[in-house]
Amino acid sequence: MTRVLSTLLSHYRRHPGQLIMLLLGLWVASALWSGIQAINATARDSYARADALFDTQLDQLERRDGMPFSRAEYHALRQAGLPVSPMLKGEVVTQDGTRLTLIGIDPLTLSNDNALAQANTSASLSDFLTPPWQTRVAPDALEALGITRENASAATPTLADGKTLPPLVLAPALPPDTLIMDIAAAARLLESGDQLTRIVAAPGALTEAPPGLTLTRATTLASPGQLTESFHLNLTALGLLAWVVGLFIVQAALGLALEQRLGMLRTLRVLGVSGRSLVLALSLELLLLGLIGALAGIASGVWLARLLLPDVAATLGSLYGAGIGQELNLPWHYWVGGLAVSLGGLLLAGSGVLWRAARLNMLKLGQMQAWRSGYRRQLSLMSIGGAFAMGVALALYVWLRFQSPGDGLVTGFTLVAALLLASALWLPPFLALLLKALTHLARRRPLIHWALADMQLQLPRLSLAMMALLIALATNLGVGSMVGGFRLTFLDWLDQRLVAPLYLNAPAEQYADIDAWLADRPEVFERLLTRRSDATLQAATTPEGSRSIGTPIELYGITPGESLTPHWPLLATQQDRSSAWAAFSDGAIFINEQLATAENLSPGDRLTLNAPGANETLTIAAIYPDYGNPSGQVLMASPQLAARFDAPPSSMGLVLSDEADVDTLRATLLERFDLGSDALSDQREIKRIATEIFERTFTITRALNALTLAVAALALLASLLTQARSRRQQLAPLWALGVPRAQLAQLNLAQLSGAALATGLLAIPLGIAITWGLVAIINVAAFGWRLPLYLFPGEMAVTLATAVGVALLAAALPTLRFWRASPRALLAEEANQ
Amino acid sequence: MLEFHQVHKTYTTPQGPLNVLNDVSLRLAAGESLALMGESGSGKSTLLHLAAGLDLPDQGTVSFENQNVASLPEPTRAKLRREQLGLVFQQFHLVPSLTVIDNLRLQARLAKRDNVAWTDHLIERLGLHGMEKRYPEQLSGGQQQRLAIGRALAPRPPLLLADEPTGNLDETTAGEVLELLLSLVRETQCALLIVTHSPQVAAPLDRCLRLSHGHLLEAAL
Repeated sequence: MTRVLSTLLSHYRRHPGQLIMLLLGLWVASALWSGIQAINATARDSYARADALFDTQLDQLERRDGMPFSRAEYHALRQAGLPVSPMLKGEVVTQDGTRLTLIGIDPLTLSNDNALAQANTSASLSDFLTPPWQTRVAPDALEALGITRENASAATPTLADGKTLPPLVLAPALPPDTLIMDIAAAARLLESGDQLTRIVAAPGALTEAPPGLTLTRATTLASPGQLTESFHLNLTALGLLAWVVGLFIVQAALGLALEQRLGMLRTLRVLGVSGRSLVLALSLELLLLGLIGALAGIASGVWLARLLLPDVAATLGSLYGAGIGQELNLPWHYWVGGLAVSLGGLLLAGSGVLWRAARLNMLKLGQMQAWRSGYRRQLSLMSIGGAFAMGVALALYVWLRFQSPGDGLVTGFTLVAALLLASALWLPPFLALLLKALTHLARRRPLIHWALADMQLQLPRLSLAMMALLIALATNLGVGSMVGGFRLTFLDWLDQRLVAPLYLNAPAEQYADIDAWLADRPEVFERLLTRRSDATLQAATTPEGSRSIGTPIELYGITPGESLTPHWPLLATQQDRSSAWAAFSDGAIFINEQLATAENLSPGDRLTLNAPGANETLTIAAIYPDYGNPSGQVLMASPQLAARFDAPPSSMGLVLSDEADVDTLRATLLERFDLGSDALSDQREIKRIATEIFERTFTITRALNALTLAVAALALLASLLTQARSRRQQLAPLWALGVPRAQLAQLNLAQLSGAALATGLLAIPLGIAITWGLVAIINVAAFGWRLPLYLFPGEMAVTLATAVGVALLAAALPTLRFWRASPRALLAEEANQ
Repeated sequence: MLEFHQVHKTYTTPQGPLNVLNDVSLRLAAGESLALMGESGSGKSTLLHLAAGLDLPDQGTVSFENQNVASLPEPTRAKLRREQLGLVFQQFHLVPSLTVIDNLRLQARLAKRDNVAWTDHLIERLGLHGMEKRYPEQLSGGQQQRLAIGRALAPRPPLLLADEPTGNLDETTAGEVLELLLSLVRETQCALLIVTHSPQVAAPLDRCLRLSHGHLLEAAL
């Protein structure tokens, strides 16, 4: 067996390029896949730790006016016999500028089945409760505190403000960047006096909210893991795509290595090596190469994940408020899974090789005649496979049409995958037909005729790489158009919603005075007061009947006026925009698209909203877009919100006349009402921050897209390099017949660019279909809002240029080698054929 | 028509310089046939490549129709091969992507001398009638070499260069192919330079030269 294996491997000594391409394919496929899985695994670990803590495991009480509790209020609740526990939450800044969340708790009153209570069992409760107290911290946060793991125990790091933390105790189960300590120690550090952030209770311990407070049940709080599921699914889909494209390289290299070793395999069979031994030896070869490629890929994947993790963390933080650690935290099954996926992929790509080796006919030595009919059979199978995949895509589309909008995230991804697969499978038959037709047309042009006929001959070896290129181009175009469309929509939406040049954030009790003062300022054209509150969406009445819901929602009040209403975007109204705004001013409500999608609501439906002391049934007059908001929101006129739900003011937009002196107004306002400098925000600054967050959100998407395209280019290069020798053998006779080498080199480039251009042209409708799938299905299912479908001719031109560019880049090296080969070398290769 | 004058050719090899042709001079008149014999590695194929402008001499001149081939730029040498020369190789070197008929007409089309009546006649003479739509790999070795000969003669070149044209064929087939080659050469009245190590191939030709250690000698058959 060793002898057979070493004989098989000797092929790669003569063809090291094939070995390099094989390992390269395995490496990139494995690296991109395992990199993404490393990010997912780290994020999931962070979510699990956050889940196990407080926020989603406990019922929460909050004041309806959003103000903090006082200790006296807490004591009053305890004296009333309610099983509640106080919690203080704030931020501390470490010396290196990192912001850590500090949570103060009272373990004596905290529910015993909570993760913290369990984490405490190994330590003395009295040490936690009494000075100098203890700081529970996850190992991830030590670096920010400037402490090594070895020195962590009982260390008392100093914060940026000079205060020191109580002695550290490591608690790996805690979320990253979170410190837990006794509420008294936390109050000292946060200088919160007798304020409490919220009051919590064991799930179900309270039957109803005490007067003046809101009760949010743990069961209605979405955990970060649930919120971010779509994001991770998206990442996994992109990783899977890169893995598939990488395996195209592997398949191309393996196929060629087998084809070139057919003679060797037959000789081995003739010499008495059994078919079974041959397949075993080839399997061992695959395993050996697979292990090398997979291990290199996993190591690179971890490196890639480290590189991308800060951006992913920022994205998840800004999109969902989910905190994930900056350090990779990889469980054992990540490593085993990565290896298994890489080796499984290799087995998938190599199964054809093993099958052919097992069925090798010893008598058909050196027979190459069957390739044409064999490839025709393959094309037929591809056409049938493509039709089947397209059938699946159509069936999924029909199925999705009968689902309520917002359902079918996985189905949406499967639909896009089926579309990609169908198009990829149809590409080689399409190219074969196109080439055949063009060959027929070019009969009078001998060189073009030859080039087209020769391209038909190259197609079997190039088709996999072309399929990879099609998938990568279409995905790039699809995702690029989606992001571009999202950017346009988002910027437009920001412009529509941020109509005032200045926004004021002041303490709630000051708004009345400020409003009265601003009313007398001639340069202030309009004051747009907003209010916020929370409520529970109790029930919905639709034409189909009434149903109870019980979902927590946000209430948001705006001031309809001539500055805001003409620009505020509406997606659906009961009649028209003006009627909708008229109804709004009279007490009707608007709801955001997320809420409409999640609860299948339309204008005209009625919602029953429940808040302490208020129970209102209101009519939906319109649905508005609310990009980036993960929650359902009900919009009503600010005075209505104050009257019905006693909601406090939260901000005020100041629309100014053209001649207003903004700086003077700002200074006067701040001075007169003794406001902090951050109380007034500039509209441009808000837009800049929002746009920055937006751009960062798509950093990883862009990076993965670019990597996938790079992998496709590599697949093409691999295919071209692996067949470069046989190409030269085919070009040499033409050169001998009197076709100048420059012309042959140009033809060579033109052949590939032409095929890539045809692939690029096919990628355009496919990319548009993917954009549609992303904005109309996946986005709605993942985020609850639908984006308009924007098409960018510029992006399409870039796609075509990229296709041709990638092909030219991949063809440049083999063409250069042909160009630089001496005539004698060409003829020698020819003679050695 | 074709003249070698004091031609020298040396190759650089890992083992040192290899002197392949040493002061070689020869003349081939229009319509004349010449066999060039020699051992393997004696430089026969190099001489043929120099004659075709596929390679250039280190010293001396190779002239075709009184034109120094080495002084021509690469595109002009390519044009010379396309329009004035027919090349037949031992390994046939048909274009696998083209059908029999397209292979046959390839060089004639490249030379813009495609003549349907002549190629139809050639197809008959080559014994490939009815096989026009086949691909080269669907032909036997003898049929492939016949097709290669037809391709070389399709533009009716004044000079045909053949490198071991029967080297890959069995004895019977080789005889048939040689007979066809000579018959077509007579019909087209082109000059012929054959490189071979077979006395049977050389015998029917007008003249025979032997190449030994880089020197050209008159050979007696």
